[in-house]
Amino acid sequence: MGNVSLCDAFKRYDDIVAVNEMTLEIEDGEFLCLVGPSGCGKSTTLEMISGLTLPSDGTISIAGDDVTDDPPKDRDIAMVFQNIALFPHMDVYDNISFGLRLRDFERAEIDRRVEQAATIVKLDGMLDRSPKELSGGQQQRVGIARAIVREPAVFLMDEPLANLDAKLRVHMRTEIQRLQKELDITTVYVTHDQEEAMTMADRIAIIDQGVIQQCAPPLECYTRPANEFVATFIGSPSMNRFDGVVRDESIETEHLELALKPERGREYELGDEDGGRDVSVGVRPENVYLVSSDDEPASPSASFAAVVDVLEPVGDQTYAYVRPQSASAPPSTDGSLMGDATEQLLVSVDPDTSIGEDERIEVVFDREKVHVFDDASGDALTHGLVGPLPTDDAASSSEEVQGD
Amino acid sequence: MSNPVTTDAAEKRGIVRQVVDFLVSEPADTYRLLFYVGLVGFISITLFPFYWLFILAVTPRGQLRNMGLVPEGFNPSVFLTVLQEYPLHHYIFNSIVIAGITVVICLVIGSLAGYAFGRVEFRGKGPLMLLLLLISYFPGITYLIPLFEMLSGTLTIGVFVTPDLYNTPWSMAFPFTMLSLPLTIFILTTFYSQIPDGLEDAARVEGTTRLGALFRVIIPLSAPGVATAAIIVFIGVYREFFFSFMMTDGQPDNWAVLVYGILNFQQQHTELWNLMAAASLIGILPVALLVILAQKHIVRGLTSGGLKE
Repeated sequence: MGNVSLCDAFKRYDDIVAVNEMTLEIEDGEFLCLVGPSGCGKSTTLEMISGLTLPSDGTISIAGDDVTDDPPKDRDIAMVFQNIALFPHMDVYDNISFGLRLRDFERAEIDRRVEQAATIVKLDGMLDRSPKELSGGQQQRVGIARAIVREPAVFLMDEPLANLDAKLRVHMRTEIQRLQKELDITTVYVTHDQEEAMTMADRIAIIDQGVIQQCAPPLECYTRPANEFVATFIGSPSMNRFDGVVRDESIETEHLELALKPERGREYELGDEDGGRDVSVGVRPENVYLVSSDDEPASPSASFAAVVDVLEPVGDQTYAYVRPQSASAPPSTDGSLMGDATEQLLVSVDPDTSIGEDERIEVVFDREKVHVFDDASGDALTHGLVGPLPTDDAASSSEEVQGD
Repeated sequence: MSNPVTTDAAEKRGIVRQVVDFLVSEPADTYRLLFYVGLVGFISITLFPFYWLFILAVTPRGQLRNMGLVPEGFNPSVFLTVLQEYPLHHYIFNSIVIAGITVVICLVIGSLAGYAFGRVEFRGKGPLMLLLLLISYFPGITYLIPLFEMLSGTLTIGVFVTPDLYNTPWSMAFPFTMLSLPLTIFILTTFYSQIPDGLEDAARVEGTTRLGALFRVIIPLSAPGVATAAIIVFIGVYREFFFSFMMTDGQPDNWAVLVYGILNFQQQHTELWNLMAAASLIGILPVALLVILAQKHIVRGLTSGGLKE
């Protein structure tokens, strides 16, 4: 058993609240990613689980035992560090066996376990080397071997791949994932890289300012973000957002109106009481389509005109930054040279699409994928402006606003 | 040469000119030349006392009055005399033991304090460190009378009488520790604070206590600093005279140290200068050996000041 639970964990440094009453249940064998911008409290959370930092308030339990005030050595955890933290005065064998030697394991048992761990992380034959002689990836594998050799209840990983180069990072990402599945050990993984979190985790906990914004499987965080912060943090490039106001039958933004009126028997989720509310409308780049293209969504919004500003081909797709030109507002040809962020819309288009910069295009949103957030609180009001078809069970996932 | 000059003056001027021309045109050689001039001067000044001691030692006693820069006679047997007829080796042994005790106590206490100052955040850390350094700048002699009373068993605090440590190594190890600790703590603080936090965290997660992490990870990685501190303390104690002179009666069996032993050659009516010189030279050897052996560490310790991860 290696479940971890935080109950109202609170950490204050002088007058800064690093982690604010965090309650989190991590199940046995689960791979949970703590993700958020730097300084959001994710590392502090991990340190509280590890015992390197003691919470100011609240309780932490591992495998059912309250370990709130226990030192790290009594917690049955192992940790992999961002700066790898191998002991430079010991060779690889001594590094891996450090914890076992401290716990007075028998020599033969230590040898057996170190051999096994070295085999798992593909470090055979390097046990007598010094950490200095190893490459960054090998060093981090020693760090992982040091963690798995004790067969702990919980793995804690504090941005273990942050110091590796991009190619190695992707490779190690897969290896850690495979290893975690093989060993089936509860893992808490801290990263600031949302892509890493998306690809590796069973569940992601997105943290901002010491508070969990959403804790859900990666795809749910992506398709049904609980609030505006999650929506913009998860996904790269980021979601487009516009300010708008809810009217009787539509959401009015500066450049377009998104009809709320039910179509073909579908229902929308914004009730009458939302009328006049200031909202923020979010739509991901891949859910914006060119009217001229073939793959128009099932329920498109009203189209509107835009001028292509910058094209960024990345290979499998091309990101087009476009400036919306609305009928209601005059074309802002005299806009500042750097462009105004709110005036921009990022569209993901097929690389074969022949559009050029400064070209005038017509774009539509996929209304099923439009997110609406309350302007004041940032909480999500609805995901998709079309409700589920009453007969369509597969689409029932958008039935209710994700509560928190 | 627009002005007519005498041949003699021209020649002189020619030499000066040649020298100046050489110095100006060959700056690299000039610097090297100046370097050697400085080096030779420095070495002469440093090593001359040793040469003088050596001459003094090998000059037969009767000819000491006429002693000059070159030895009047050659009598190397003094080096054996000081060991065979006088218990010089016993004094040296006493010195090494007392210095060793002081080094061990200083390193243990200094490590704990250095860990606290270098790696733990606590209120009043800055002022406390300052106070420590401030006290270390006081001349040790100012504590002499209370220390002597305390260590010779004449100080009474309520019903307690301090133990009589006169003529024991502790009566010297105690004040030396007190005087050396601030510097030790300062050196070790600097080194321990440079060990990355991650290494200590890793050790603690792997199963050590904070103290265990200090001894298993931080101290081994601070070896240059620990060696530097150890050697500075050792040399300081080994050559200390004042407290050593006050705390024993000068008998080798009563833990009199090397400098006291050398002083003992100065007897009531005679001064055995040649024996004193020979004893001094022999007494230097242990420290010289220590420094040569640990030189690598000291240089690393004083210059680089630690290691990077």
